[in-house]
Amino acid sequence: MTSDRTATRLSRILALIPYVLAKDGAKVSEILERFGYTEAELTRDLNTVFFCGLPGYTPGDLMEAYIDGDEVIIDAADYFARAPRLTSMEALGLIAAGMAILGSGQGSPELGKAVDKLTRALLPDAGAAIDVDVSGDPENLAALKSAATERRVVRITYRSLTHEEETVRDIEPWAVVTTLGNWYVRGHCRMVDAERVFRVDRIRHMEVLNEEFERPKDLTDPGIGYTPSDDDIAARIKLSPGARWVLDYYPVDVLKETKTGIEIRFTSPDAEIPARLLLRLGPDARLLEGDEVRERLAGIAGTLQARYR
Amino acid sequence: MQNVVERVINLLIYLLDSPNPVTADQVRQTVAGYGEQSDEAFHRMFERDKGLLKRMGVPLELKATDKWEIDFGYTVDPEEYAIPDPRLTEQERVALSVAARMVRLGGTNAGLAGLLKLGGVEVGAGIEPLAADLGAEASILGDLFLAISEQRKLEFDYAGSRRLLDPYGIAHRRGHWYLIGQTVDGERVFRVDRISGVEIGKQARAFRRPKGFQVKRAMSTHPWEAGTDQAVEATVRFDPDVAWWAARHLGVEAPRVGELEVVLPVANRDAFIGWVLGFGPDAEVLAPDELRRQVLARVEAAVQAAG
Repeated sequence: MTSDRTATRLSRILALIPYVLAKDGAKVSEILERFGYTEAELTRDLNTVFFCGLPGYTPGDLMEAYIDGDEVIIDAADYFARAPRLTSMEALGLIAAGMAILGSGQGSPELGKAVDKLTRALLPDAGAAIDVDVSGDPENLAALKSAATERRVVRITYRSLTHEEETVRDIEPWAVVTTLGNWYVRGHCRMVDAERVFRVDRIRHMEVLNEEFERPKDLTDPGIGYTPSDDDIAARIKLSPGARWVLDYYPVDVLKETKTGIEIRFTSPDAEIPARLLLRLGPDARLLEGDEVRERLAGIAGTLQARYR
Repeated sequence: MQNVVERVINLLIYLLDSPNPVTADQVRQTVAGYGEQSDEAFHRMFERDKGLLKRMGVPLELKATDKWEIDFGYTVDPEEYAIPDPRLTEQERVALSVAARMVRLGGTNAGLAGLLKLGGVEVGAGIEPLAADLGAEASILGDLFLAISEQRKLEFDYAGSRRLLDPYGIAHRRGHWYLIGQTVDGERVFRVDRISGVEIGKQARAFRRPKGFQVKRAMSTHPWEAGTDQAVEATVRFDPDVAWWAARHLGVEAPRVGELEVVLPVANRDAFIGWVLGFGPDAEVLAPDELRRQVLARVEAAVQAAG
C-alpha cells in the first residue's frame, strides 16, 4: 500500500518536471489545478526534487526546483525533458474511457481525434485490438444527460423491472450511469417522492418538461444500487456452478458456497423476478425456500407448458 | 517515504544518464541513499526500488556490461523511457480528460493518472452527469493489454484447465471484458473475470496477429450467436407489451403497434432459451419444433427443480 502511494507520488513528480521545463516556468495556480496538487504537496515535492540530481550531488549536479512569487521554476533537469511512458493500465484506461464515451454517442469530434492519436502513438493497430461497446440508445442518453445538466424534469413511460407493468412518472434526473452492461438514470421520482434508479432501456417514451428542479447539494458519486425494503419477498436458491453469473447480475446474498453449488438469498419486491430467473436457469437452480416464488413459477410454467405442448 | 522518493529519483537519473549498463555494485557506490547500508539491506532496498520503477512503467533492463557477457548491469534507454508524443491539441486533451473522469475501470478513474503524463487534467468543467463503470477486473486487464500490445503469449487457468493463448484483443460487452485470441483449437473468446493465474510470456513479438483482424468482428453481438451448437434460425414472437423493448435489444425496428416477430440465428441454444424465458409468458419460440421442445424441457426442468 505504501509503495502504491510512493509510485503515485513519483509518477506525478515525473509528469510535473517536463511540463514546467517545456513552458520554462508555470503559474503555481495552473500547476495546482492541472496536477491536482495542494500547495503543501507541491512545496514538498519541489523540495524533494531540489535534492536530486546527478551523482556527485554537488550544487551544480542537482536540479533546481522552487517557487518564485507565483511561479514554479524547474531547471537543470534535461534527463526529465519528457514524461515517462504510460503504464499498460493507464494506456488502457484512457483509450477505454474515450471509446466508452464515444460508443455511448456522447463524445465530441475532439474526443474521437484524441483517441485516434493516442492509440496510434501507443500501439499502431490498437483500434483493431480493443473495442468497448456500452451500447445504449444514444438519443435517450443524450436527452437524459442534457436534462440532468440543465436540471429539467423528465416525464417517462416506464416498464418496471420489478413490477411487470407500465407507469408514467415525472423524475428529476441527477446522473446517467452505465454499469454491468446496462444504462441507468438515477434521480428523484416524484410519483413515489423518493430517490429511484431507472433502467434507460425500459423507458418507452420520454418528454423533457419545461420545469426546473433543484439538485441535492450533497450529491456524491453517481453510484447505483438496489436497497431491499421490508415488503420484499425472500427466496433461498441453490445455484449450480454453471449459474454463477447470477451473482454478477442480481443483488443477492451468498449464504454458502460449496463444490456442488452456491446457496443464495434472493430479495425482490415482486415474486415475478426470481420466478423468471428460475425459469431461465431450468435444472441449474433449485428453489430451497420461498412459497410465493414457487407459486408464481408454477403459474408462468403452466401457461408456457400449455402453449408449447 | 521521503527518502524512498529521493533515492528512486536519483537512481532513475543515474540509469538514464549512464551511457553503459551499471552493475548493482556501481549503483550502491554511486547513488545517494544506498551507501550506508549492509549488504542485505542494500539488496532488499534495490529490489524494492527496481520493482517500483517497473510498476511505474519505466523500461528497466538487465544487459551485459561488456561484449564477453561476464558482468550484467541495469540500464534505462531514454528513448524507451519517454512517452511517445501523441501531439494532442488543447481541445483534444480536455475532451480526453473529461472522458477519463466519467469512466471508471477497476473502481478508479484509471485514465486520469495517465493524463498527468500528457500535460495534466482539466478540473474546471464541473460535474459531468454521465458516468460509465467498465468493471472491476482492472489489475489483470493491464497484464492482458500488455501481452496484446507486445504480442506475448499468455498462459492462464480457465474453467478448470490451463490454457495457452496468442492474445489478439480485448473487448467490453454487456458489462464484461472478454479476451480473444488463438488457441491450438482455433480462435476463442474468454471472459476476463473468469481468468486466473496469468503468466505472460518472456518473449515479445512471439506471434503475429492475422492481418486485418478486428476484435469488433470477432465478438458476436448477442450471447446466443456465439456457440458450438448446430446453427438454427429461430422464429420468435413477442407480445405487444414487450415488443418495443425486445426490438430495442435486438437492434431492429420496433412495430408501431402490435406484436413483433423476428428470425434470429442461434448457435448457443442454452443462452437463447434462457433469454426468451426471461420474458416469461410474453415471448414464444414459434419455430423450429425441435427448439420448441427444448424450451418445454427447460420449463419442465425448472418446475421440477423448484419442488
